[in-house]
Amino acid sequence: MNAIEIRGLTKNFGSKQAVNGLEMTVPMGAIYGFIGENGSGKSTTEKIICGLLVPSGGRVKLFDRNYTDTDVRAKVGVLIEAPGCFSNYSVYNNLMLQAANLNIENPEKEVVKVLKMVRMEGAASNKYKNCSLGMKQRIGIAMALLGNPSLLVLDEPINGLDADGMRIMREVLMEITKTGKCTVVIASHILGELEKIATHYGIIRGGRMIKEMTAEELNASCRTYVALQTRDMNRSKMLLGSKYSRVEEDEAGYLRVYDATTPEGIVTYLYENGILVGEIKTDKIGLEEYYIDLMHEKEGR
Amino acid sequence: MEARNELKFVSPSFFSRLKSMLGVDFYRLFHTPLFYIFLIIAAFIPALILGTTAMDNPDGTMAQPLYSNAWNAIAANTPLYTFSDIGEYANMNMVFIFGGIMVSIFIGHDYKSGYVKQLFTTHAKKQDYMISKSITCAFAMSCMCITYLLGSVAGGLFAGSDFSVNVGSLIIAIVSKMIMSLGWASLYTFLNVIFRKYFGVSIASSFLFGTGLPIIAIGMIFGNAAGSFLNIFLYGSSVYACLSSNIVTLIICLIVSALWTAIYNVLGTKLLSKSDVY
Repeated sequence: MNAIEIRGLTKNFGSKQAVNGLEMTVPMGAIYGFIGENGSGKSTTEKIICGLLVPSGGRVKLFDRNYTDTDVRAKVGVLIEAPGCFSNYSVYNNLMLQAANLNIENPEKEVVKVLKMVRMEGAASNKYKNCSLGMKQRIGIAMALLGNPSLLVLDEPINGLDADGMRIMREVLMEITKTGKCTVVIASHILGELEKIATHYGIIRGGRMIKEMTAEELNASCRTYVALQTRDMNRSKMLLGSKYSRVEEDEAGYLRVYDATTPEGIVTYLYENGILVGEIKTDKIGLEEYYIDLMHEKEGR
Repeated sequence: MEARNELKFVSPSFFSRLKSMLGVDFYRLFHTPLFYIFLIIAAFIPALILGTTAMDNPDGTMAQPLYSNAWNAIAANTPLYTFSDIGEYANMNMVFIFGGIMVSIFIGHDYKSGYVKQLFTTHAKKQDYMISKSITCAFAMSCMCITYLLGSVAGGLFAGSDFSVNVGSLIIAIVSKMIMSLGWASLYTFLNVIFRKYFGVSIASSFLFGTGLPIIAIGMIFGNAAGSFLNIFLYGSSVYACLSSNIVTLIICLIVSALWTAIYNVLGTKLLSKSDVY
């Protein structure tokens, strides 16, 4: 059974088509990294999944059921844009309000539990408006976790989080999905962080899903490359460029040779041309580079 | 895999859903300073009108009190769909103006804070929202009716006004107006659902309807003779609940309030179900 199954989803805002025939499959228990540039339709799709927007066409199923079914909806947690808290209420009161909304038995216990999960128990009495952006994001996660949701829909939840906040978020998401009972859809631009937790990916562009894959598939399709540094980088680049089809200089100042099979061949080749290699290693491109490559490919660059 | 098969969805009953929604709304109502401010305003206005209009003029001459009877601060002696002086208009019906503003701010905060995202993600049935808001806001307006009554009594005592009245009619008038609160609350909830993205417009529209101006305009064109026709509207029935009320008044108010509550709730539910909520 899939947690989310979307077929031919469209959403128009006037003459603008935000989502255009989107197909999406999220298996149960997955942490689904939902990636796309600004305005690609990620948030619109997430809002449709949460029942906040009415689709113009297509079909949305949650757990093999209609996404508008009341019992299914009651098991969805959400953090889209901001947590949706009342600024004059304390953190605790905001969570109690959500607990009342979900009709949770023993709400005090549940609220304390989720506050502990996001390491916010010390800030329960703080007024929401006095919380930092990072704290607000964690409160939003706590709110979404109330009532043991089976599906968590998060939009940019790690925005504004410091390194510790990101680690906590990672731990929380991995903890709740480890039993397979909870599925997480997480849209984020921080791909490096997403790569650490996602088990599945969906890449959206112009309102269409252009690629869906598992983390293993991503790993297999990420090309290896040889990265090296020499004293004469310009000449090295020229020499290697004449022998290999793709040679690029990266941000860290390394030359990347993508279609080299072994580093030894490169070292020998450069040595024969009077260049000594100072440092050399083999590596794989990450999600971020894979995504950028894919976007360039789609743009025909 | 076994854990995955354990996933069970419990379909909440209508009453369970409504209970949770009411829990949220009443929690918010009692934790909103605005509610208490409007309760005070509702008490203060009649006390102020009764008290100040009974005072002597600055030149020492006797002032002409706005009301000859303290209970006119609650309702007119007979149903007046149009009015010739402010005293005939300014009575407990003003609660529906204050209520309109309060409801607009109360519901507006749902959208401004983004809390509707949480509500509508977990509550698929939009009727829950309409019903819960209508009940909560009707309760708030009924409370304002009570503080308005207390303010009127205090103002009347301070001004030494006449308190003679047919107690039965007075009670029916007050209870009828409290019953009308439900219809008014549903109207304001509906208006706020329509203008949910435009906070200012929702307040302005609630204020306009709360003043009863559209009905007063019809009354001015057709005169008080149009009374029985005007009673089918919320403002008309609210005016009909006056100091000469009887059991028929109560029944009419009950029917009109229930009818408009049902209409606005159905329309609001349809609107929320068919359109983007956030």
